[in-house]
Amino acid sequence: MTPRRIVFAVLIMALFIGALPLSAQDEDVTMTMWVRNIGTQVQELIDAWNARGGSQIELTVIPPNEFVTKMGAAIAAGESPDIASIDLIYAPAFAAAGQLLDITDWVDALSYADDLLPAHSELGTYQGRKYAVPFLIEGSFIIYNKGLFEAAGLDPEVPPSTWDELLEAARAISAIDDETYGYYFAGACAGCNAFTYLPFIWASGGDVLSDDYSEATIATDPIVREALEFYRLMWEEGLIPEGASIDDGSSFVSAFGTGTIGMAGTGAFGINTYRNDHPELNLGAFHIPGKDGGAASFGGGDVIAIGSGTQHPEEAWEFLEWMMSEETQLELYAARNRTTVRVSMLENEYSAGDDLVLTAASALAVGHSPYSLVYNDLFNDPNGPWLEMIQIAILDGDIDGALQLGQDRFTQIMSG
Amino acid sequence: MLFVTVFFIIPLAMTLFMSFHDWPLIGEQSWIGTTNYTELAKDRQYLKSLDFTFRYTLLVTPPIFILGFILASLVRHNIRFIGIFRTIFFLPVVIGLGVSSLLWVWMLDQRVGIFNKILLDLHLIEKPQLFLAKPTTAMNVIILSVVWKTVGFTMILLLAGLQSIPDELYESADVDGAGYFRKLLYITLPLMRRTIALALILSVIGSVLAFDQFYIITRGGPRNSTISIVYWIFNNSFTYWKMGYGSAISIVLLGILVTLSSIQYYVLRERY
Repeated sequence: MTPRRIVFAVLIMALFIGALPLSAQDEDVTMTMWVRNIGTQVQELIDAWNARGGSQIELTVIPPNEFVTKMGAAIAAGESPDIASIDLIYAPAFAAAGQLLDITDWVDALSYADDLLPAHSELGTYQGRKYAVPFLIEGSFIIYNKGLFEAAGLDPEVPPSTWDELLEAARAISAIDDETYGYYFAGACAGCNAFTYLPFIWASGGDVLSDDYSEATIATDPIVREALEFYRLMWEEGLIPEGASIDDGSSFVSAFGTGTIGMAGTGAFGINTYRNDHPELNLGAFHIPGKDGGAASFGGGDVIAIGSGTQHPEEAWEFLEWMMSEETQLELYAARNRTTVRVSMLENEYSAGDDLVLTAASALAVGHSPYSLVYNDLFNDPNGPWLEMIQIAILDGDIDGALQLGQDRFTQIMSG
Repeated sequence: MLFVTVFFIIPLAMTLFMSFHDWPLIGEQSWIGTTNYTELAKDRQYLKSLDFTFRYTLLVTPPIFILGFILASLVRHNIRFIGIFRTIFFLPVVIGLGVSSLLWVWMLDQRVGIFNKILLDLHLIEKPQLFLAKPTTAMNVIILSVVWKTVGFTMILLLAGLQSIPDELYESADVDGAGYFRKLLYITLPLMRRTIALALILSVIGSVLAFDQFYIITRGGPRNSTISIVYWIFNNSFTYWKMGYGSAISIVLLGILVTLSSIQYYVLRERY
């Protein structure tokens, strides 16, 4: 072998040796992902992703109430995850704090970028840059027990479309016996009531925040008072079980599953739970109505973002792109009764003829999500003004006091 | 000294430093002088939490102390099987406060809780009660849970004090014809002054710093009526991400605790 050939052989070997660790490194990439505990959907997705080979994802599931606290503490300690599934209303706060990777170029390069759900995409945007894409889609609606409607002499195929009709239906169902109630809400759960109670106000043309989200309108918008009086009336008349007053969200889903509740607010997450755990229930769904008609929904759920401190941005984006792909959306979302992240796929071969799934999907058309950097302090905090106002008004009956307290505390928090 | 420096002096200095800043949990911090301290006077919930914490401390301290003293008196003498009773009374102390709080959440539950079951079986109530729905009952069950959890510790402290009193003193008093209450008043309590001071100071500090039971059992409810001052520090620091403001409340709380403990120590000091 000539010296030139030896040098050539050594160079070729060096290339192979150099390439091997690179390829092994790629195989070995393990990313961390955090998600709040809202069902099995994410675990199924991650299992499917990991089964493909290549980069792997290690999932950490965090109780919903603790997600923001833990995420904030982890970021402060420099231990934030590579990927995070974030309750969409917190996305602006995390983006504003510079903790999410700017993925504008990647998102804009998608051929279906304009097809991503607009409300979720908007909350994933901060100062014109994109930091998150839609991930888990929840639009609130009301689920009802057709069996109880029938037993109460109501037409199970014609659900209420106004507050009065809902009230009458709740009265009729509560009259069945002492163990049966017309309506349910989790009276000690702040987030649950943002999700299922705010839409009653929105659907009637009212709001608790001004259009530009700069000030509170609790004391000035008459619809807010009327909405509180509406729930108060149901509570006073005993149409809601007493135990609801201390439900911190732990019975938010399960209470309706007992079969003794006529109607309750829920989201797409409830569909599989009720169908799997309570196949005996004959279920129907309708949009959250306004006082005299109309409908609204809280566009909730999660967006997914890449942590700004990640060492694996390409791999993380690869996962996001795979998640949004047509195949994943169809086989891992739609086929499992879950709402897709792409508008054009909301109605699909799996949802055809399924009232519940179609209601959950169409709720997004009337969906609304408050855009506020202090959303947690206003609405989701169990000790925050939103829940305190609801409890004082609905459970204690002091509507004037509740409105004033809500207005004052909202204003105080929003003024920093 | 190294231990005190690392685990007390440095964290204290850091907390003090943070209290003069706008220090979000994530993001940039900036110096704001004494603003966090002046804001305290306008913070309705801070004042409410202080008031609640003092009321709670006043209500929970006497039963812990009196029951602890009674139990210590009962298990004072080394008779047969007394170790079993001492162990039973002390057992709740070794359970973590978080775990015991979760246990009480279950016991207080409207549907599966043992309290409702017992009260229903005894026909003392007609339907299951929502113990956590009203501020008064919520406070009462919290006090009950804390007394159950901590009385064993006070018992052990007081037991050590009781056993350090020489039996000869009681024998002399017996010869002089002194009854139980005279012996209690003129021998037991005066000679236990130091132990009583320690038990009360520790009990008051524990009550002022109460957090777990409110966070887990009542979550500050109903209507935010059970938010203790430490709960409010936690909320500001980790829920609202206002670490600077949380630090300012912590510093004020430290001052309150030092003052309270000093007063207790002064009142209960040895007098010769």
